[in-house]
Parts: sequence; C-alpha cells; structure tokens
Amino acid sequence: MSDWVNENCVSFFQLFCIKVVKTGRVPQHIAFIMDGNRRYAKKLSVKTSDGHSRGFDKLSETLKWCLDLGIPEVTVYAFSIENFKRSDEEVNALMDLARDKFQRLLDAMDQINDWGVRIHVAGRMSLLPLDLRKMVSQAMLATLHNNKLRLNIAYAYTGRDEISRAASHIADGVNYKDITTYDINEELVSQTLDLGPPELLIRTSGEVRLSDFMLWQTANTVLYFSDALWPEFTVWNLLVAIIHFQRYAPPPLPQKDNNGNQDKFLQKLEEKRLQQLKNYIVCSS
Amino acid sequence: MLSRLIRQILFVLLHLVVSVLVAIQNVYHRFCVKMSNLPKNQTVNNEVMTVLGHVPLITKELKHLVVLVDTDHHTLTDLARVVIWSLVFGISYVSFHDITGKLQKDEENLFVEVEKQKKGIPGCIKWFDKPNLNGYTNGIQANTISVNILSYNDGRPKITKCLQQISQDNTLCIRSSDEFTSQELDRTLKTIYPSIPDPNLVLYSGPLCCAYGLLPWHIRLTEFIQISIDHSINVNNYLGALYKYNKCDLRFGK
Repeated sequence: MSDWVNENCVSFFQLFCIKVVKTGRVPQHIAFIMDGNRRYAKKLSVKTSDGHSRGFDKLSETLKWCLDLGIPEVTVYAFSIENFKRSDEEVNALMDLARDKFQRLLDAMDQINDWGVRIHVAGRMSLLPLDLRKMVSQAMLATLHNNKLRLNIAYAYTGRDEISRAASHIADGVNYKDITTYDINEELVSQTLDLGPPELLIRTSGEVRLSDFMLWQTANTVLYFSDALWPEFTVWNLLVAIIHFQRYAPPPLPQKDNNGNQDKFLQKLEEKRLQQLKNYIVCSS
Repeated sequence: MLSRLIRQILFVLLHLVVSVLVAIQNVYHRFCVKMSNLPKNQTVNNEVMTVLGHVPLITKELKHLVVLVDTDHHTLTDLARVVIWSLVFGISYVSFHDITGKLQKDEENLFVEVEKQKKGIPGCIKWFDKPNLNGYTNGIQANTISVNILSYNDGRPKITKCLQQISQDNTLCIRSSDEFTSQELDRTLKTIYPSIPDPNLVLYSGPLCCAYGLLPWHIRLTEFIQISIDHSINVNNYLGALYKYNKCDLRFGK
C-alpha cells in the first residue's frame, strides 16, 4: 500500500454510493483548502505535527475517493507563503513531513505510474529548501506523462504570488518578442498561471474565505464550506459537496482558442519550466 | 447495462429526495420567520434604531462591505436600505457587485432610491463618480459612506489591462529578481484601482456561493457569508450576517 493513495478506505456500500453520484455531472477539477489540522490536534490533545500527519493521511483517502469518482484533477493547498511566519519548529516539522512523503513517493514510483497520477507542485519553488526542491522536481518529472489524475500541490504558494509570477512571464514574452501586447488577454493570463480553474472548491473547518488561494481561477467556481475539520472529513462530506455542485453549478464555460503567437509562447514557457526543474535536480546534487 | 440503469434511477431518486428535503426546510424556514412576529414593513427610522442598538456588540473592523447583487431577486429598495443600514453602522465603503449586468444600467434609479430612503437620517453618502449632493449632517457627528457599483470588468479584465501596460513600459513595475513579488505587482495595481480597501465581507444570497469574478486581487482575506437562503434582504438577516462575520477569526497564515 502506498502512502499517497489509500486503497483500503472505501467500503462496498461507499463505493456503491460513489457510483450512484458519479452518474451525474462530476466536477472536472476540484480544489481543497485542507484546514483544521491544528484544531484537530488540539481537540485530541496531541502534537501539532501529528495533526498535520493525520491531515496527510486524509489526503490519501481523498485521492482514492476522487479516483473512484472519476475526477481528473485535484488541487490542494498544502503550504502558503504566509505559513513561513509560523514558529520555526512547526515550519521545520512541515518541511520534514513533505520530505518524508516525497521520498516515499519516489520510492513507490511504479505504483504511482500504475495509477496514472501526475504530481504537479505549484508555488514559488525558490523558497523551498534545496533538498526538498530536488525531490519535488524529481517527482514532477517522473510523473509528467501520467494522465488519469493530476494532483496539484500548492506549496509555498499564494494566489497573488502566482499572478505576479505569471505577470513576469508575460512581460518577458513581450520583451523577447514571442507575443505582442495585443496577444495579452484574460485567457492567456489564465493559461500562464500554475493552476487551471477548479469547478468546485471545498474548504473545511468552517472558515469562509479563500486565504489567498486560486484567487484568479475561482471567478466561476462553486465555493463550498464544510464545518468538518480536515482530518475528520469523510467520503459523505465529499459526496454532499458534489450533490450541492450538481444542483447549483453554472454550466461550464466554452474555451476560446489561442492564436499562433499565444500557443508558441505557452509552449516555450512550458519548456522553460521543465528545464528549470531539471536544473533544480542538477544544482542540488 | 442493467446496473447502469439502476444507478441512473437511484441518481434521479437521490436528487428528488434532496429537492424534497430542501423544499421542506424552506417551508419550515418561512414558517419560523412568520412565527417570530417581527414587525413587517418597518420604517427606515425603526430599522436605523435597531442597527444602532447592535453597533457596540459587533466589534470586528468592517471597512468595506460587498453585496453580490442579483437583480432578478433584489430590488433597488433592498439595496438602498443596505446603504442606509451600513451608513448608520459606520461602514465606510459599500460596493454592489453586479452579477447580471443590469444594475449598472439602473444606477440613476438606485441613486434616487437611496436619496428617498435617507430622508432625515444624518450622514453623508458619496457616490463614487458623482459630486456629494447630500453632505448635510445637521451639526450631529455623522458617518460617511462611499457607494460603488462593481462588475466583472473591474476584476480580471482590469488586471489584464494592467499587465498589458507593464509589458509596454518596463518602468511601471520594477522587479528585484527574475519574477515579480506580490508586493511589487500590488504597488502597480494600486495605481489603476481607485483607493478602496480590500473587502472584509461579501454578502451573498441563495444557496450558491460564487465570487462571480469579484476583484480577484482584493478578496484574498474576504469572508463570504450568506445573508439569506431565499434571497430576501431585511434588517434582521443583515445583522445576523454581521454577527457571523464578527465571529470569524483571521490568522494571517499563523
């Protein structure tokens, strides 16, 4: 059994209910703000790091539910740039947790490839410790061609930072004459960002704000706030959120085609990003 | 094949049951409102007194309130009253985010309606693109409120325009490294947005919570609170939403 996708967390009855719900429209991209790990630890009087670790276990269950539901893209908010302000002890514990989980992921790569999970880490990578950055890059490159479930992990991320980084890429594109000012439109900005638009965003633990997560992408997203703390989030909470989505979601927006310049620019950007990941691996070894 | 059919039947049944449960809940909700014997059609003056009674109990800072306006459900009178309550409450900015695109065309009528509702209530209402017509305060210490109508175009399209300007003129936004930081871009964006503070609270009505493209750069810490499930806006559910907001606790990442 792998750490990342918990295969044994769905009972026969739960699977049956999942199958009934997925008969209808299922969000093609779902985002989670996994809030409440520390409150959970406090409630159970255990260490904060145990709360975070329990939160990761919940993520692996959630990924299994999403695979069963046939949701092709899942984005989770794991660590915000603002979280660097927490105590050194907690930040280090969170970095250690990430190191441990990415190491296990790299060790169990065959299984991840069997499931077809693509790992994508979005955020300001330059803020990560060198060794973690290397592991993250390795995981992203090794799973690049998997296409059953794309798992985006927002790490050292904020929505404003993502828009700012996209702004620099676009300004560079004009400087290098890949695109002109007239090629810059809303759709191009959307595609230059690290993350695509989610159809459903779930925030746990009863908070009702975005906390700087996917600010640009959530323009037409169904926002769903659940009172459960993240480690206590169940498949039933998820199914209720999806039924809510099925009842109220606006119809998906039609996609506009890019022009040649825009396509070339985006392709070049993708290549630049891949090269950057390769550099991270070489630099820290 | 058969199992697929069974699944589809169960799916339809499931949604039917949910619809029935929601309908029962709505009827119950309406019944509760009726039974609570709240005086109907209160005069604005009574409402103002009610709001004033609650001001000391809601202590969390609320500078900028945004209401997501669906003109199919909300009347201009509803919105005008929100302006009056907010004025009395001491909120400095209230914005109406126009979801359907019809409110902007109706701006004049909203203006007239606000004027009508305001009669006799001290305070100054500034209309963001009009001169101050009603600055009288009768010598009483009074609040000032700015009213603004926002639309989708104030969000992503406006930021996109800013990015176009940056790409044309490198001096507009200076970067200290390869990539802009959010503080660097924020400084440039501030020059294209009028000086309104980030919204503290968004009120939405109905079962669906969605930002509808509301100011993406500004809503990172904004609380989304439902004012009512049936789209009604009255002084009681307005105050109820403010109490919910008062309970929200910001942690700034910590």
